[in-house]
Amino acid sequence: MSSWAATVFVVDDDLSIRRSLTHLFGATGLNVAVFASAQEFLERYNPSASGCLVLDLAMPGLNGLELQEMLAARGSRLPIIFLTGHGDLPSGLKALKSGAADFLTKPVDATDLIDAVRGAIEKDRIARQVNAEVAEIRQRFATLTPREHEVLCHVISGKLNKQIAAQLGTVEKTIKVHRARVMVKIKAGSLAELIRLAERAGIQPS
Amino acid sequence: MNWVNFIWALSIWASLSLAVLHFAVWLQQTKHLAYLSFSVFAASVAAIAFCEWNTMLARTPEQYGRLMWWVHFPMFSGAVSLVCFVRLYFNAGRPWLGYTACGLRLLDLVMNFFAVPNLNYETITGLRHVTIFRGETISIAEGVVNPWIKVSELSWLFLLLFVADASITRWRRGDPNERRRAAFVGGAIIFFILMGAGYSGLIEAGLIRLPYLTSLAFLAIVVAMGYELSLDVVRAARLARQLRASEDASHESEARFRTLADTTPVMVWMSGTDMLCTFFNKTWLEFTGRTIEQELGNGWSEGIHGQDLKRTLEMYTSSFNARQSFTMEYRLRRADGEYRWILDTGVPRHIPGGEFAGYIGSAIDITPHKQAEERLRSVIEAAPNAMIMVSPEGKIELINAEVESIFGYSRQELVGQSIEMLVPDHVRSEHPNHRGGYFTHPQARAMGAGRELFGRQKDGGEVPVEIGLSPLQTPAGLFVLASIVDITERRKTELELARQRNELAHLSRVTLLSELSVSIAHELNQPLTAILTNAQTVQLLLSKEGADRGELPEILCEIVDESKRAGEVIRRLRVLLKKGEINRAPLDMNEVVDSVLKLIRSDLVNQHIAIDVQLTPDLPLVDGDEVQLQQVLLNLIVNACDAMAEVKAIERRLLVQTEMAGGREVRVSISDQGRGISPEELERIFEPFFTTKKVGTGLGLAVCRTIISAHGGELRAVNNPHRGATFLFTLPATAQGTQ
Repeated sequence: MSSWAATVFVVDDDLSIRRSLTHLFGATGLNVAVFASAQEFLERYNPSASGCLVLDLAMPGLNGLELQEMLAARGSRLPIIFLTGHGDLPSGLKALKSGAADFLTKPVDATDLIDAVRGAIEKDRIARQVNAEVAEIRQRFATLTPREHEVLCHVISGKLNKQIAAQLGTVEKTIKVHRARVMVKIKAGSLAELIRLAERAGIQPS
Repeated sequence: MNWVNFIWALSIWASLSLAVLHFAVWLQQTKHLAYLSFSVFAASVAAIAFCEWNTMLARTPEQYGRLMWWVHFPMFSGAVSLVCFVRLYFNAGRPWLGYTACGLRLLDLVMNFFAVPNLNYETITGLRHVTIFRGETISIAEGVVNPWIKVSELSWLFLLLFVADASITRWRRGDPNERRRAAFVGGAIIFFILMGAGYSGLIEAGLIRLPYLTSLAFLAIVVAMGYELSLDVVRAARLARQLRASEDASHESEARFRTLADTTPVMVWMSGTDMLCTFFNKTWLEFTGRTIEQELGNGWSEGIHGQDLKRTLEMYTSSFNARQSFTMEYRLRRADGEYRWILDTGVPRHIPGGEFAGYIGSAIDITPHKQAEERLRSVIEAAPNAMIMVSPEGKIELINAEVESIFGYSRQELVGQSIEMLVPDHVRSEHPNHRGGYFTHPQARAMGAGRELFGRQKDGGEVPVEIGLSPLQTPAGLFVLASIVDITERRKTELELARQRNELAHLSRVTLLSELSVSIAHELNQPLTAILTNAQTVQLLLSKEGADRGELPEILCEIVDESKRAGEVIRRLRVLLKKGEINRAPLDMNEVVDSVLKLIRSDLVNQHIAIDVQLTPDLPLVDGDEVQLQQVLLNLIVNACDAMAEVKAIERRLLVQTEMAGGREVRVSISDQGRGISPEELERIFEPFFTTKKVGTGLGLAVCRTIISAHGGELRAVNNPHRGATFLFTLPATAQGTQ
């Protein structure tokens, strides 16, 4: 998914705010989708869509902070930029602690907002890119047989083939074969690369 | 038979009989000198006729001259008696004319006395025998006429003038009977004297040669006078007969009158044409304890109190002279020596013919009434309020000193005047109607039926007053007693109170708005945000080469709309913050609710309060001050929100309702889902300085209740059946109905 397909999701109960933001993001060349309430966003939102969320803090029904919580609970990593008319510090801190990308006060300067939105989209793009690589690496690790996986765990912990053979109750030659097969399957050129890839795939050395 | 003898003898006989007859009448009524005058005149005419008759039969000039000498005596007595008769009978004629006629006649008599042969002729040269009346021969003198006979003619002239003057005067008095009499008697006298004198003149001028016929002319006068006098006699006789008949009747009616007069409890008196009293009944005499002799004439006035005497006699005299009825009050000494107030009414009385006969009057002892009146007077005088007693005709009967000080008039200027002089000009014309209405249904009540009343002061100023009316039944009839209070001071105090109330309401409003400042800031922030964003978008589009500028008009439109929205918020805020005069106008409560919700909306959002608005469409309008009613609503909504601060966010619900109530009222209710109001609080929440909040003046609800009361409505609080409380207020709908 390229950054150009990224969308700015706007959730605000005030029609005039929604309209003005639509104009602004439109003029900036960003895709915009507007929602009048948190509930509406939850119903229509596709978690795989990339971009960022421009969220009004105070809204009838579910407010901004509540929506943030719910999205987090659903595992969404969509960056959130909070807009608030009140600028109340406690809400802002809470939002940032919960991982908000930014916290802006109304009336907001268009440049600040666009910068924040661009930053958030970039961040999302990177996050999504990273997520994709890890997934591919994991995919590679998933092709390993249980014995090969077992050997991998010992290898990345820095043990010698002899030590591994002793621990697994087999001969060093067998370990060598497994190790070579792992290196091929994982597409690692060296032990150092293997260790880095295993780390990214979240495999714990044993 | 000789015609001359016959005619003259007959005329002598006729004159003499009339003379004798009327002399006899005069003897019966010596007061009526007209009869005597007539009698003398008739006798004189007889004497003249006798002399004339004899001159016609005279044989020698001496004899003729002698007879003519004699005739001046009856001429004198005739003229004098004629003057007397006219004066007495007509009761008119300028006396100097009569005196001059008589004087000249006396001069004639005196001159004649010394004239030879008489005043008519200087000398009579001879007698001529003339034949008249179918061969009768009579003598006529021939000689030189005496120029002094003009005295006699002058006398006749004055006599004529005198009679003419008297007749005209009599004629002018107008009575038809009198007129006829004046024309007949006066006319006859004038006509026949002119004839007789003219005839004599012709003889004396020698133009005709005929005997003197003066006596025949005079005889005609005698007959005319006699005819009138006999008519009078006949009339008098008829009257006398009637009088005798009516006397019997009046004797009886008088007896009846006296019985009645003596038995009535009313004191009765009568007076004659001379103002002197001629009768007092037994009741009067018993009252005064005096005898009839003591009271008769002016004796009765001796019993009148010294202070009242002059006034009473003046009233009596002036009414009497004007022949008018009178009613007067005076103190009269009773037999026991005590002076009692008497109400005395006198009316002129007339005998059946219509002639004024004096007065008849009745008097009663009104001392008890007078005392009651005096008591009333002192009660009214002592009253702390201004009091005015008014008759059904609107006449001011009685006032107290307070009235003088409120209206600036003195007592003399008001009593007896119309009450309308104290009514302001613009309502004066309606007042008599209201007054009439009151006397139709008299009952104690406040005047004006809730309208503001004003009294008109002497200097033309108007004073705000409150007037209580109560009917007052007195012996003199129904009156109304108006109790008037000058409420200038109260009005001032009321205005000051209203001003303070206004001030307090404003203060409370400012406090309320400061509580709402966050919400208000948000309401202002929203449009400003949209404006800023839109404006910067425009900048962006304009700075970028080749940008799609198709949206520019739309964006600019939005900037305009949002600026207006921000302006509207500020306007609303300014209205609420303004310390203005109360400005009542017909309002739609739905619009007021709407406008308040716009101000407070974001506050509700912040507090997680769900709002349910149930507005009944087509509500009747109410008459109210928009700002103050907004204030009440804001206050109640803020209170409702505060009441739900400790309730779980999901359960915070606010219900705002408008509806019709009882047909002619609009009801607005605000319900919360809070903990409700405890019974102790329920009693006290509307008291000033009572508050359940940590921060609060405790004035909000007190001010709200004051505002709603001032609008003629009611504000109260009730607990909801399930949970929370409802504050509701009613406002009377205007007569105009719905929008």
